[in-house]
Amino acid sequence: MGLQYLREVSAMRWAAVAAFTLIAACSFAQEPSAPPESSSSAQAESKPPETKNFAKDEDQIVNDSRWHLHLGTISFGTGYSYFSSPYYGPYGFYPYSAFYSGMLWDPYWGYLYPSGYFNYNDGKGEVRLAAPKQSDVYLDNAYAGKAEKLKSIWLKPGAYDLSVSNQDHASYHQRIYVLSGKSLKIEAKLEAKTQSPQTEEKP
Amino acid sequence: MRTLSAFAAVCAGTLAMASSIGTVPRSTATQYPAHTVSDQVAIGAVKLNEQAVRKIFSSDLNRCCIVVELAIFPTKDHPAKISLGDFSLRIANTDTAVRPSGAKVVASSLQRKAGSDHNVTVSPQFGVGYESGTYNDPNNHGPYNNGRQQRSSGVYTSAGVGVGIGSNQSGSTREDLVSMETELSEKGLPEGTATAPVAGHLYFPISKKKNVKYQIEYTMDGQKMTVALPE
Repeated sequence: MGLQYLREVSAMRWAAVAAFTLIAACSFAQEPSAPPESSSSAQAESKPPETKNFAKDEDQIVNDSRWHLHLGTISFGTGYSYFSSPYYGPYGFYPYSAFYSGMLWDPYWGYLYPSGYFNYNDGKGEVRLAAPKQSDVYLDNAYAGKAEKLKSIWLKPGAYDLSVSNQDHASYHQRIYVLSGKSLKIEAKLEAKTQSPQTEEKP
Repeated sequence: MRTLSAFAAVCAGTLAMASSIGTVPRSTATQYPAHTVSDQVAIGAVKLNEQAVRKIFSSDLNRCCIVVELAIFPTKDHPAKISLGDFSLRIANTDTAVRPSGAKVVASSLQRKAGSDHNVTVSPQFGVGYESGTYNDPNNHGPYNNGRQQRSSGVYTSAGVGVGIGSNQSGSTREDLVSMETELSEKGLPEGTATAPVAGHLYFPISKKKNVKYQIEYTMDGQKMTVALPE
């Protein structure tokens, strides 16, 4: 039992060290991402002609790649199990393996596993719509559904005409531009019909 | 009569263009933080800060450009000929100046920039559990020479980290390029002859600097107008 315990502790320490190393490595990898703002502006200033050469800007843009560090799900779990049958492993009492179940705490077990977890988008962008629940939502003049069921809409990249209308309120119109992997937050405030209809331009 | 109707059609077309592209101009040029007035035209301008750019645009223009919202108010007898080449953004009291980029150029640079980005996702997880139970201890003989039942319990912990690396960044696809180009074009300052007030955005491909004053220069019929942009 003692040997097993030592192995477990050792393994956990190594796992912790590996985790910190990875996080540190990622943070380090981010550092070169800072755009070379000072150098580019210095180049611009030292240029005597009145207008700047755009080609130089584009070269800078191409070379300016960035690393984005995202913190994914942090999972904490607890569990309790009781077993009545005896179990005796090669190194003595071993309370973990025989009855251990990831189901008790593992967030990735079974249906809880978030599909496409590391996949940020599948080429679509999200429109998060906040509007009165019973409002009708139209996209490019086509009926899309009730607002209460369209709090999150995934669309292909492009420009759309979003309209939200309600019997008692004036319609809300907005031109939206969807980009893949990006989330647009739209708050459709409908005004009472007694007032003149208002068209809003952009979020 | 024909000439008159043709002129009316041109004016109507100009107004239609101005209303479908760009933004809605404020009531007067003085409504803008920076403005100037000449005999032929009044200009109002405002330099958008990063927060305003994020709010107005889906495209991530903060990565490449300084965005200026500009409005032109032509006088009654002098239609204004608007061309991007007539504008420039200058760092005050220096020789450094840039002309605005077109929607296609800006969208293209943003797409290439997004395509060169990488995502790293780190997902740590931690678990704590408790187990208790009985087992037969063969070294501890009971009264009938069999293993004595021993009761034991323990707390187990686990830790792990998942790391995902990908390069599919927002705005990097071909469809994104078209979307960004559409947005920048539709919100850009309309070009052409304007008889009514028009407004829109200009995209200057220059890196932002702190504590630097910028000014917009507009040349119309050889006459140069300068508008100092407040921070």
